[in-house]
Amino acid sequence: MRRVAYFKGCLASLSAKELDSSTQALAPKVGLELVELETVTCCGAGDIHEAEPDYYLHLNARILAYAEAAGCDTLLTVCNVCTLNLRQANWQLKNDEDLRDRVSTNLKRVGVPPYSGNVEVRHLLWEIAEGEGYELLKQSAHKGLKGLKIAPFYGCQILRPSKILGFEDPDRPWSLERIIEACGGEAIDYPAKIKCCGFPIIQAREETALGELIQPIEQAKEAGADVIVTPCPLCHLSLDAWQSKLKKATGKDFAMPILHLSQLVGVAAGLEESELKFRRHVVPVTPVLEKLEV
Amino acid sequence: MHSELAPAPGSTTIDVALKIWRYDAETGEKELKRYEVEAPDWVTLLDVLDIIKDKHDGTLAYRKSCRMMICGSCGMRMDGAAVLACKTRMYDIAKSGHVPVISSMGNLPVIKDLVVDMDPFWGKIRRMKPWLDPGYEEPLEKERIVSQQQTNVIHKEALCIMCGCCVSECNSMESDPEFFGPAALAKGMRFVGDVRDQADVARLNDYNDEHGIWDCTRCYFCNERCPKGVDPRDAIAKLGAESIKQGVDQDWGAKHAKWFVTSAKTTGWLRETELVPKTQGVVSAIKETKFALALAKHGKVPPPIPPHVAARVGEARKLYHLVKAQGRDGALGIVQGEHALGRIEFSEQAGVKTSDPEMRPGVEPPHAEG
Repeated sequence: MRRVAYFKGCLASLSAKELDSSTQALAPKVGLELVELETVTCCGAGDIHEAEPDYYLHLNARILAYAEAAGCDTLLTVCNVCTLNLRQANWQLKNDEDLRDRVSTNLKRVGVPPYSGNVEVRHLLWEIAEGEGYELLKQSAHKGLKGLKIAPFYGCQILRPSKILGFEDPDRPWSLERIIEACGGEAIDYPAKIKCCGFPIIQAREETALGELIQPIEQAKEAGADVIVTPCPLCHLSLDAWQSKLKKATGKDFAMPILHLSQLVGVAAGLEESELKFRRHVVPVTPVLEKLEV
Repeated sequence: MHSELAPAPGSTTIDVALKIWRYDAETGEKELKRYEVEAPDWVTLLDVLDIIKDKHDGTLAYRKSCRMMICGSCGMRMDGAAVLACKTRMYDIAKSGHVPVISSMGNLPVIKDLVVDMDPFWGKIRRMKPWLDPGYEEPLEKERIVSQQQTNVIHKEALCIMCGCCVSECNSMESDPEFFGPAALAKGMRFVGDVRDQADVARLNDYNDEHGIWDCTRCYFCNERCPKGVDPRDAIAKLGAESIKQGVDQDWGAKHAKWFVTSAKTTGWLRETELVPKTQGVVSAIKETKFALALAKHGKVPPPIPPHVAARVGEARKLYHLVKAQGRDGALGIVQGEHALGRIEFSEQAGVKTSDPEMRPGVEPPHAEG
């Protein structure tokens, strides 16, 4: 079992609790012991980066510092936006000694342990797409996803900018497909799988956002997908909760179920409904479960 | 007589195959046409297009000029991704046996084959008033010295060659064609961040337009595509930070961003349920009641009381005030980490199924009106 600091972020703490419960239940099956950090805050979701960039850097440095203080070399994330924000701050801090000194001095002044730059931020997706996590996943996914056509939806901020994310080619990602296939499902290919779900501007510019959101759902549907899976709870929220708005705007009722990555793998690994919490979804997941005869 | 592109004596050649989306706006005809040429092993995509045009098919249309990554003329898509043809070496691709699909850039109307109409692009650049406004008519008696540190704030924005690669895959612009877009906004930051420019507030008010700064969806395609390391998304974040610093903060996007700051320093975590009224105002939030109730049934609208408070949140609050007092707010706070282009090269993952190149975004046949 590998001890990793677990950063669940805002959504998994509140409106996407199903992401947290399924991740917690899945973790030991893929060799991860999650160390929950009590003192950490929001990563700023790109918004603090835009509103108060220097504060963004310090908030994220504080999160990294507490992960380091917990004796972990890995900070596990379950959200694309947390992943980018934390990795971006980490990248800046690791590459610039003067900056790291200034930020660490500031952290110390408010009572936070200094950050020396020895933590890697890694998304759950990456942990189970290769290495030991992948081998354990193959063993754990005994119930399988046979007969299920699954559309992988990556979202933006786990792929781009690749110089900061860097796990896989942002134009030819493979990790979700590999996991789907390891669980016995069939991965569906469609162009919008690497595009934006519109979530960052869904409140400020709903019309623009809906024009983006419709693409993956419509394309996945046309390609014959039973379900979309995503590693990001923000993508999940827009794909799942805003489908009703798409219906209102376009008259199209896609009724496309959306699963978190930890739920999809969780189904294959035989997790319980109390851990998967499908009742928390707006678009019913029932057709997927019926197809799998769960 | 030797063609300029014939292999030099003793050099090796490679066989390069391409599929090119041919298109004629006048007739509306389009066709994915395959070409195979023998070329020196050092060729770029642009060289291959030159060979095709010179020896195989003189009707092929594309733009080029400098052939050395500075004029910004030869932007086009390879397998759905915008590239400068003159910067794209073909050796590894040809040796791998892959036949790339070449098409015109996205988000701009196609005129013929790989040539797009750049007028909408230039219109948006002009919209930013891309010239220095020093706030006086007559030149000063003494020259104005700008320090290196002051220049660093806009170093990346100044690298732009206006090729349009960032615009090609801009997800917001696909949905809202009037979005100013990454190139124009980066150009705007080039002037907002210039210490000699005295029109910052007027510019920021202008750039806070409905189709401006806050219409960016943060898909980061622009940073990924830019062949020069401008990182336009970072430029847009700088404009957002400058807007908020200068009090140009009434756009819903700005209010949305500010609520995250308030959340972080009060409870540490996003105060999710209050985000809509704080962004859109109470009236608009009330109009959303029906939608919110539907989400609430599934636990998607967590009650704000009791608040979800991080342990030792006082540290986050103190940190806010400490950092504010150090005065690195606005664009100055955006750290970019390197001065030019940072890029990771990826190799194909052995044995793993990757997506079909013809299925990637933007590889679909061009549309008449873009």
